Amino acid sequence: MFDQYLIRKDSLENVTKGERIVGFKFAVRIADYRGCFLSLHNGYYITCDGVEYPVSKQKFEINGKAPRSFEEIKTCVWEHWNYDDEGYVYVEQEGGLSSGTHVIGLQQSILAQYGYMPWDEEWVKNPPVPGKGSGSGKTGTICTFELVLQK
Amino acid sequence: MGIKRGVSLYSYQQTQFFGKMNWKDMIREVHDNLHTDGIEIIDEAIIKDYPFPSEQFYFDWNNEMARYGMMAVTMDIYLDVHQFRYHVMTHAEAAERLKNDIKIAARMGFENVRCLCLVPTEVIEMAIPTAEKYNVKIGKEIHFPLPIKPGQKQNVKDPIMDPRMVDQIIELTQKTGTKHVGLVPDFGIFQHSPTDLAIDYFKRHYNPEMIDFILEQGEDKNTDEVIKLLDEKYPGHGLNAMTLGAILIKESCAKPEDIKDIVPYIVSIHGKFYHMTEVAGMPGQYEDKAIDYATPIKYLKECGFNGYINSEFEGQRYCQDAGEDKLINEIEQVRRHHEMLSRLIGK
Repeated sequence: MFDQYLIRKDSLENVTKGERIVGFKFAVRIADYRGCFLSLHNGYYITCDGVEYPVSKQKFEINGKAPRSFEEIKTCVWEHWNYDDEGYVYVEQEGGLSSGTHVIGLQQSILAQYGYMPWDEEWVKNPPVPGKGSGSGKTGTICTFELVLQK
Repeated sequence: MGIKRGVSLYSYQQTQFFGKMNWKDMIREVHDNLHTDGIEIIDEAIIKDYPFPSEQFYFDWNNEMARYGMMAVTMDIYLDVHQFRYHVMTHAEAAERLKNDIKIAARMGFENVRCLCLVPTEVIEMAIPTAEKYNVKIGKEIHFPLPIKPGQKQNVKDPIMDPRMVDQIIELTQKTGTKHVGLVPDFGIFQHSPTDLAIDYFKRHYNPEMIDFILEQGEDKNTDEVIKLLDEKYPGHGLNAMTLGAILIKESCAKPEDIKDIVPYIVSIHGKFYHMTEVAGMPGQYEDKAIDYATPIKYLKECGFNGYINSEFEGQRYCQDAGEDKLINEIEQVRRHHEMLSRLIGK
């Protein structure tokens, strides 16, 4: 769902820490028709210009709080990502991105369900790896975006 | 009295996503342009800061509903069993979520909550005292591919949903004597053919000749036979059984006449639809070519059903991959659905 609209087109920016560029970020929406308990958000499959960035290199900013790792997000069991709200995905990349257009591949993983499923215990022990198929919610494909770096 | 019309705000999910309408705009649309009062919501789409909405949200909601004289019919609620991530939610925990949802629904004036097909009967039973205390009915959804009565030949066999679900709910009401548990049939159970929007979607994402091959073979063969031929002709085709089921559907998973037997248990109905198009030769009249509305509504009228059918538009997701000019207009689709509902209900 909302395949072409999951990333806001004019949102790709480099991220600085002091004087250093330490990565890039872009704004996303939830690929569903409802929000979710934040703990269910299991990260992204992300490629940028063919380079894959695993969940360990990602952080997520939502609800006016500083960007959090997905290990921390996993513990936010009473916090909610409202359907109307935009979040920012931060990706670690020393030096950031060059100016110009970049091709981003994206699949969101949210472990939303409609009840009990045969794989429930397995998902506790081994949560799905984003991009590998399971746990991709309502957008089962990897979506591609051509984005121009804003700053 | 008689059947009443309403709208699940689910129908406007795309318009909401793009920030073009909020829930107040949707309520006004139902009131001003559909000339009716029934409102259904998806809790996690509408309630800001669910599951702990502010006092201001409750007041704002109830105020807006009062302003237009609307009826809060049903709140659709969910069961995400991985909320706690380090353990699968137990049935007792699932019942706690259900009970909290009932309390939220009550404060927003809803008569019913819709719980999902896969919520265990035991979980519903644990929440009955709360449902009774707050006077909110729990309606379990009869969703595709479930039948109303078990034993019907199923075009799509769901490996998880129990085809005896309706009987289990009726047994629960008999065992406990509660008046606060019932059913929410979804008109998707009366879908008898694939929707054109889904066929177009699959043709954009898979080899279009392969989709035509499936449709041709499906005319006189069952799903298993088609899968066998498909595997031979297009090895590694990448279509799963559920997708094939959506393409190959030839008869509805529930018989329209079976609805007569469950009318006393219906708390409200989901008017699922995919694509309203003009009826040939009848300008201004619309139909969903894939779903039988006329027959079930005829039976509902015969049986004196006087609850709500709430429009639940779901065709938008098949058009979101094809460019902004291809996005479908949800507002227009719901208006067309209400032309049809008004005509079939007879008012």
